[in-house]
Amino acid sequence: MATNFQVDIVTPEAVIWSGEAHMLLARTTEGDIGVLANHEPTMAALATGAVTVRHDSGSVTAGIHGGFLQIYRNQVTLLTDRAELTEGGVEEARAAASALRDAEVEEAE
Amino acid sequence: MASAEVRAIRRRIKSVQSTMKITRAMELIATARIGKAQVRVAQAKPYTQKMNEVIRNIAHATGSLKHPLLERREPKTVGVLVVTSDRGLAGGYNSSVIRLADAAINRHQRDGLRVRVYTVGAKAQAYFRYRKYSIEHAWLGVTDTPRYVNARTIANILLDEYATERVDAVEAYTTEYVSALTQTATEWNVLPIEPPAADDDGTAVVASGYTFEPSPEEILGRLLPRYLEGTIFGMLLEASASEHAARRRAMKAATENAEELTRILTREANQARQAEITTEISEIVGGAEALSGG
Repeated sequence: MATNFQVDIVTPEAVIWSGEAHMLLARTTEGDIGVLANHEPTMAALATGAVTVRHDSGSVTAGIHGGFLQIYRNQVTLLTDRAELTEGGVEEARAAASALRDAEVEEAE
Repeated sequence: MASAEVRAIRRRIKSVQSTMKITRAMELIATARIGKAQVRVAQAKPYTQKMNEVIRNIAHATGSLKHPLLERREPKTVGVLVVTSDRGLAGGYNSSVIRLADAAINRHQRDGLRVRVYTVGAKAQAYFRYRKYSIEHAWLGVTDTPRYVNARTIANILLDEYATERVDAVEAYTTEYVSALTQTATEWNVLPIEPPAADDDGTAVVASGYTFEPSPEEILGRLLPRYLEGTIFGMLLEASASEHAARRRAMKAATENAEELTRILTREANQARQAEITTEISEIVGGAEALSGG
């Protein structure tokens, strides 16, 4: 059984992160989701929050506001039009996600 | 001392050459821009492909897609979105897409439909304003380097117009980037949304047995506006690449014409100078003969 899976974080302007991971944490509209290898096929709507990708040489965090998560055959795709990779920890990613949400509110006004 | 004629020709040569400097610079700039624009078109592809895949998966899971944004209404009012550039000097780029849109508007009006016009780019705005169309929304400063937020703004306004039934359908008139040499003005149905045809890009493995969080219907409802933004963004990027390609071609032709014109004018100047010298010599010879003969 595979212990790693492919992760792609895709925005309309670029693929902001792509690589192998052994665990992924994200916040969906229904609550937090943790993904390991061989997860069942899932499609979820993402909420505002941090995404953490743990891979063999460390971890990556990103702030995300809205979007979709698709899991299929060890291939995890996060589709979002508002995402930002962050240095440091989950806290910073959360702050980035809130900033993205505020940006949306400002645009609407 | 050169005559007035020779001086006039030399002055024209100078003016042609300074124009040529400008057109050559514009050609070089456009060439650099095409490369960048093409990269951005390519970078936007994965997102659109994945989004198509997700929609197809939802269609598969739910049997058929049902959503107000997908339902065809009997049209009474048609929204027409015209995508042009802000600046000219791009050959036939703007005029061909405007011509296509104008023909469609006339057709709709003959069919007794009302038309609401939305424009991207100063050229379309100027054209339709001059012809006394009321323009519902005009976006400027978008086409040179389109950002995703531009697509989002356009999509939001069109969705709002559609939801409040101010329009029953929206068509876009834009330019498709086929290759560096070919860009074609095309028509595209924006609303109601036409879901992606099965396997049109060959990437999707439509799978069953998905768990949906929340329900597929709710995901679809969130997805469709994003899908619209994504496709509008793709359209803007292609229009931008087309604009730069058209400008490069137009400026290349202009530079070549200027070179040709310089060659012709130089020859004319030389001929005029030669004629002048010949006249002078014959005058001197004539004068000398008159003196010796007397």
